[in-house]
Amino acid sequence: MKLNKITKTAICLSLLATVGCTDNFEDINTNNNGITPELFQQDFNHIKGGFAPIFNNIQTITSQLEWQYQLQQGLNSDIWSGYMATPTPFGGSNNTTYNLNDNWNGFVWSIAYSNVMYNAYNIEQLAKGKYDQFYALALILKVEGMHRVTDTFGPIIYSKYGTTDATIEYDSQQNIYNQMFSELDVAVTELTKRVDSGDDGTASFGKTDLSGYAGKFEQWIKFANTLRLRLAMRIVKVDPALAKTQAEKAVAQKFGVMKTNADLFQIQSPVNTNPIATISGSWLDIRMGADMESILGGYNDPRIATYFDTSAQFPGEYKGIRTGIEITAKGDHQDFSGIGAVVRSKNIVLMTAAEAYFLRAEGALRGWNMNGDAKALYEAGITTSFDQRGASGAAAYITDNVKTAKAYVDPNFPVNNAAAVNNVTIAWDAAATNEVKLQKIITQKWIAGFPEGQEAWSDYRRTGYPKLFPVLKNTSGGKISTLLGVRRINFVQSEISLNKGGVDSGIAKLGGPDTGGTRLWWDTAAANF
Amino acid sequence: MIAFTAQVSLAQVKSIKGVITDSDGMPLPGASVAVQGGQRGSTTDFDGLYSIEASKGQTLVFSYVGLESQSIVVGDAATINVKMGQAQSNALNEVVVTSLGIKKTRKSLTYAAQELKGEELTRVKDANLINTIAGKIAGVAVTKSSGGTGGSTKVVIRGNSSLLNSQPLYVIDGIPMLNAGSGQPNETFGSLSGGNRDGGDVVSLINPDDYEGMTVLKGAAASVLYGSQGANGVILLSSKKAKTGKSNISASSVTTFETAAYLPKFQSDYIADAGADETWGAAGKTKDHVKDFFNTGTTQITSLGYSAGSENSSTSLSYANTSGSGIMPGNSIKKNNFGIRQTAKFFDNKLSIAANANYTSQNIINKPVNGLYFNPLTGVYLMPRGNDFDYYKNNYEVFDPNRNLMAQNWMTNRDIMQNPYWAINRNKSEDKNNYFNGALAVSYKANNWLSIASRYSYNRVESNFDKKIYATTQGTLSHINGRYINESALSTQRYADLIATINTNISTDFNFTANIGTSITNTLSNQKTILDSGIGTGLQYANWFTLHNFNSNSGNYQTVDSQKEVQSVFAATTFGYKDMLFLDVAARNDWSSTLVNTDKSGYFYPSVGLTALISEMATLPDWINFGKVRATYAQVGNDIYPFITSPTYYYRPGFEDPKPSVGPKPGETLKPELKSEIEFGTEWRMFNNRLGFEVSYYSSETKNQYIQVKALEGNVNGYSFYGINAGSIENKGFELVLNAGIFRGDKFSWDSAINFSQNKNKVKEIPEELGGRVNLTDPGVNSYQYAVIEGRPFGVIEGKNILKDDQGRILLDADGKIQKTGFQEIGNANPDFMLGFSNSFKIGSFFANVLIDGRFGGEVMSLTESQNDFFGVSKATGDARNAGGVKVNAVMPDGTAVTTMDAKSYYFTQGVAGREGATGEYMYDATNVSVREISIGYNFSPKNLPFIQSASISLIARNLFFIYKDAPFDPNIALSTGQGLQGVDIYGLPSTRSIGLNLNVTF
Repeated sequence: MKLNKITKTAICLSLLATVGCTDNFEDINTNNNGITPELFQQDFNHIKGGFAPIFNNIQTITSQLEWQYQLQQGLNSDIWSGYMATPTPFGGSNNTTYNLNDNWNGFVWSIAYSNVMYNAYNIEQLAKGKYDQFYALALILKVEGMHRVTDTFGPIIYSKYGTTDATIEYDSQQNIYNQMFSELDVAVTELTKRVDSGDDGTASFGKTDLSGYAGKFEQWIKFANTLRLRLAMRIVKVDPALAKTQAEKAVAQKFGVMKTNADLFQIQSPVNTNPIATISGSWLDIRMGADMESILGGYNDPRIATYFDTSAQFPGEYKGIRTGIEITAKGDHQDFSGIGAVVRSKNIVLMTAAEAYFLRAEGALRGWNMNGDAKALYEAGITTSFDQRGASGAAAYITDNVKTAKAYVDPNFPVNNAAAVNNVTIAWDAAATNEVKLQKIITQKWIAGFPEGQEAWSDYRRTGYPKLFPVLKNTSGGKISTLLGVRRINFVQSEISLNKGGVDSGIAKLGGPDTGGTRLWWDTAAANF
Repeated sequence: MIAFTAQVSLAQVKSIKGVITDSDGMPLPGASVAVQGGQRGSTTDFDGLYSIEASKGQTLVFSYVGLESQSIVVGDAATINVKMGQAQSNALNEVVVTSLGIKKTRKSLTYAAQELKGEELTRVKDANLINTIAGKIAGVAVTKSSGGTGGSTKVVIRGNSSLLNSQPLYVIDGIPMLNAGSGQPNETFGSLSGGNRDGGDVVSLINPDDYEGMTVLKGAAASVLYGSQGANGVILLSSKKAKTGKSNISASSVTTFETAAYLPKFQSDYIADAGADETWGAAGKTKDHVKDFFNTGTTQITSLGYSAGSENSSTSLSYANTSGSGIMPGNSIKKNNFGIRQTAKFFDNKLSIAANANYTSQNIINKPVNGLYFNPLTGVYLMPRGNDFDYYKNNYEVFDPNRNLMAQNWMTNRDIMQNPYWAINRNKSEDKNNYFNGALAVSYKANNWLSIASRYSYNRVESNFDKKIYATTQGTLSHINGRYINESALSTQRYADLIATINTNISTDFNFTANIGTSITNTLSNQKTILDSGIGTGLQYANWFTLHNFNSNSGNYQTVDSQKEVQSVFAATTFGYKDMLFLDVAARNDWSSTLVNTDKSGYFYPSVGLTALISEMATLPDWINFGKVRATYAQVGNDIYPFITSPTYYYRPGFEDPKPSVGPKPGETLKPELKSEIEFGTEWRMFNNRLGFEVSYYSSETKNQYIQVKALEGNVNGYSFYGINAGSIENKGFELVLNAGIFRGDKFSWDSAINFSQNKNKVKEIPEELGGRVNLTDPGVNSYQYAVIEGRPFGVIEGKNILKDDQGRILLDADGKIQKTGFQEIGNANPDFMLGFSNSFKIGSFFANVLIDGRFGGEVMSLTESQNDFFGVSKATGDARNAGGVKVNAVMPDGTAVTTMDAKSYYFTQGVAGREGATGEYMYDATNVSVREISIGYNFSPKNLPFIQSASISLIARNLFFIYKDAPFDPNIALSTGQGLQGVDIYGLPSTRSIGLNLNVTF
């Protein structure tokens, strides 16, 4: 009896003690290096804090995460655009030979969703209706970040993002484009209203802004308009009427599109250098593309000196590598030209002012009201690009009607040699066909846009220009045509395992098999004109 | 209760008093005195004093666990002092230390517990005490890290049962010890944050000379009283205690010499083409520079102890110094251990207090790393042959007039192979550890059946890692101006308990003991401050290694791995019947801070066990001295990972993005893990206790394992992972411990022991979201992956194979090229069974001990060999070239047979070798049998030596040689003592063979 009593008392006492002191369990279980939601609201950091990860992950530029950029863009669109090529075998069969590597390509999706989409959505939840300038800026950045993703996969999660349903449905690309246009409407309207009322944006957004715009709303509006122009041109083959409306709307907007190199959209990182610098300079994993050597070399284009370094193996020469060749050892090509000074910079350009001119030139060619004629806009595009790269001789270059792309020679492996394929000259020829004029515009746009391969790959799919060397080794197993190249990337593994229903809805809306050979909504097989 | 109430009055009863001491004259508290045939009994107090009422002519029986019982007939004297001698070792009176420091008779245990005497821990001393238990305890797998002297050790008892941690709990004098390490590597390529380094552990810091013995509690039943911390088994250490009335000074000195054993084999017939990193050029004799690269390591352990005891107090002091240099040039270790222990008794000896404090400081320069980054070995092994290694050794840096600094001098700019001497001298690292353990114990003996004890302890571990990476270190690893990494980690543990112990005879037939208590454990693990100037951002001025020279703050951060408090109540009871049947019932309830915001704040788990002494219950033949059967069933709960249920926004390094990385899956709640184990055993001794064996069978299952699954990309909570409960791992096995006194004579004796264990492991369930698998080590770009896969044993090694047909022929493609498969299972890191065989001999004053240790089954991969082949430096590639190519059994798609392939094409161009090669070709049987320990010595006779109580000298050797081994490296060394990177070697430090001298003197 005695024992039982003692036992009971002991247990009760300790129970009392226990219950009494578990109050601080919540504190103990909280990581004191974390920031609590309450603290985070001070200075609107809960809203502003979402911008940096978007800026830094439209292209992942974070130092020591260069490998993520490599998988997000470096080993897909940077290569399929003809800009660059890798000397590294990476197993011999991979994206370069059209055997799409799911483990690599999953990063296109995951980086966009966990950084751009997540933060844009959070900012919308916190700022919409209260701090609409942040909402507007987040919308522009969302369109900038996510149009790249839909242009890669086709249908993606867009309007349904934020639901906690077990299955999150994908939108058709048409719906996504429509939503992006209306999101740009909202953003441009809001920011214009603010500029008109005397708020230039530097006070509220200056310190948060990691672009070169220093928070200036006017600049952001110009960027949004140019982005609209880009998206409008993208859909020109599938919905020419809407394309024209949107393009003219962009140009006619009060602040218009980008005009000078001060307008270009770039991330000005305080700490991070363009990841391509490391991938090329330290890892020797990316080199000049053979198409770049063929076109820039053929044109004797002075911009080559900022774009590329001369080859370590062939001193004084610019030497590119063809993509989709048989690579047995990295050493075979690793000492060809690396990527040049353009990437050894903390300014990472995502949209050039030259692009705006080339878009307008194409619009003018199509008979749209672009405030200028095609020739003038085309030449302004080239001049603006020369100016941006600090290259001289634009005047002579523009009038060169002799030089064309040159043949490609692989000094180590002649099997990779090829005659030039993109046979247009530089000078505008009013007498040429629209097709030739378009090829010139896109070729110059392609040169000017370096090293942003994502947009170049999209243009290539839309127009077929510039003409690129085909792969010599196609290990896609018949899924991707050697002639047409990669049209998209198949849906990602993480979605297939965690959101199968969503992926199925996406495949239904894709209108073709979930492979890299299926064309997107805007990528029709129709002629350019 | 009858015992206390049924008082029978007898005539001529008188009070008898006395003191009971051991053979050294030290009072024995808790010894029992009983009147034979009567119901009266008493126990001694802390001074060994007893009093009992008895009448003349009755017999008093004096007993104490572990000592020979004595019977004395009461005469006229009122005082009877008894000196109790050591009992002949037999199963009936052996005492073992169990959970919470509670001593129990061995015979009453309902579970397996195996002991090691202090001598076993110090005979062939290792700087890390735990390395000396390999092969000595059945069911315990000991794997050293490749971090050299001062490295950590992985101990797994009865198989891996958890995805997060399989290491046992270490307990010193009943108090759990904090065994926090500052991290283990888990990248095949090597970490960019200073290389794949062993963050060390605490048990490697303690002084082996401070302990008189060790008990290993293997199963859940044995460890139920430690709760979740003990779920992987418990290793109990008992500290040495001063003896009453004696004082002595002991000194020991151990000096060992280590040499690199089992190096990879290299070719010396071919050189590299000019400018090439790989040695695939023309024929040309080269010198083998690898052997000469390694030094002979030395380890010197000097230990001093002083102890003195009086009737009311005792003091012990200890000091040990370890200093050594490793086989890797530039690697050295210094360690100092201080210990003090003080005991005192008050209030008529009812109250006793013990306090002890231990402090260790350790400093290691250039602790060896594994993997491909920052590792000098890659440069040594892979250097393009034909270059003069000695030139690069003596000129590892040369003056660069363009930068006006000393720049690295090496023939290639490859991130995975720097100049080794640059890596040693100009990527220098320093690991510092400081460990403090202070404990205070108070116990009060309320009366002869109840005592109350309370203990408090504080553990503190500080570790610091400092690495100075000089400008011109390869660009993947460092900024152009150099890089500075400095990581500090702090771990603390505060533990307190209050335990009431009841020990009473309910009647002569029934004995009841109980321990009822409560405890609180508050743990902070790895509160870190990490400074890293980074690779991209770097230092402003070259080679100025300090925080204010950082170009950016982006690599600096503070973090904490874990922080939690567990409050518990527990009770363990034993009912004994006639000293032949024992029933254990124990239970515990834990409340853990990690469970806030879940449905349960605490969790309860019980255990029950039964032991029957057959030799006491039935009449057995005379030659059987002891026979016992036992069975237990136990559960152990385990709380979840801290912070998961209270997610905060968190700035992670390299991410500007403050979002919680892990949180519960929306709509689900987390619950504790639960391990259930059933165990049966039997123990027998025979032929005058000359032969004894114990067999145990166990079966355990750990359910509701905490697993993090990848969350939907970009989910609205911002989580990268959801924490869920899922997964179940089963372990079944048996253990055999056999002891034999083969020969016992005055001049010569030979004792043998065998420890055998077999464990079968099966992963019963891994959730569907994870595709039935959890990757413990991701492959990165290398062809090695370590995973836990449903339906397979824990720890599957996956890699790539050469594509072959059913007949084993290599299937070439149309171009005649070898094709590789995707990732496939190619092995398992777990041994099928382990066998330890120890022998000790005595010939007069000479003694000898030999321990043979074997691990059978399992596989290991050598990425080192694969990489050496790829680079054309291995002997295999030289032999193949000499033989005109690699002999293959291959077939073209058109059926043409191919029997020889050019060596360069096979290993290099087609990439059968290399870190991303067909690693299935680089799998080896992990089976190995080694001569683990040998000691041969002489005990000096104290009679011949003035002032000296004892003295001995011995020649010792550790890892002397392998009797059998298939792998090209020592498979008992792991790249990590965490859960990942098992069964693979990627430029780990070669295993060492050590030989030395051990001197012991006691004054």
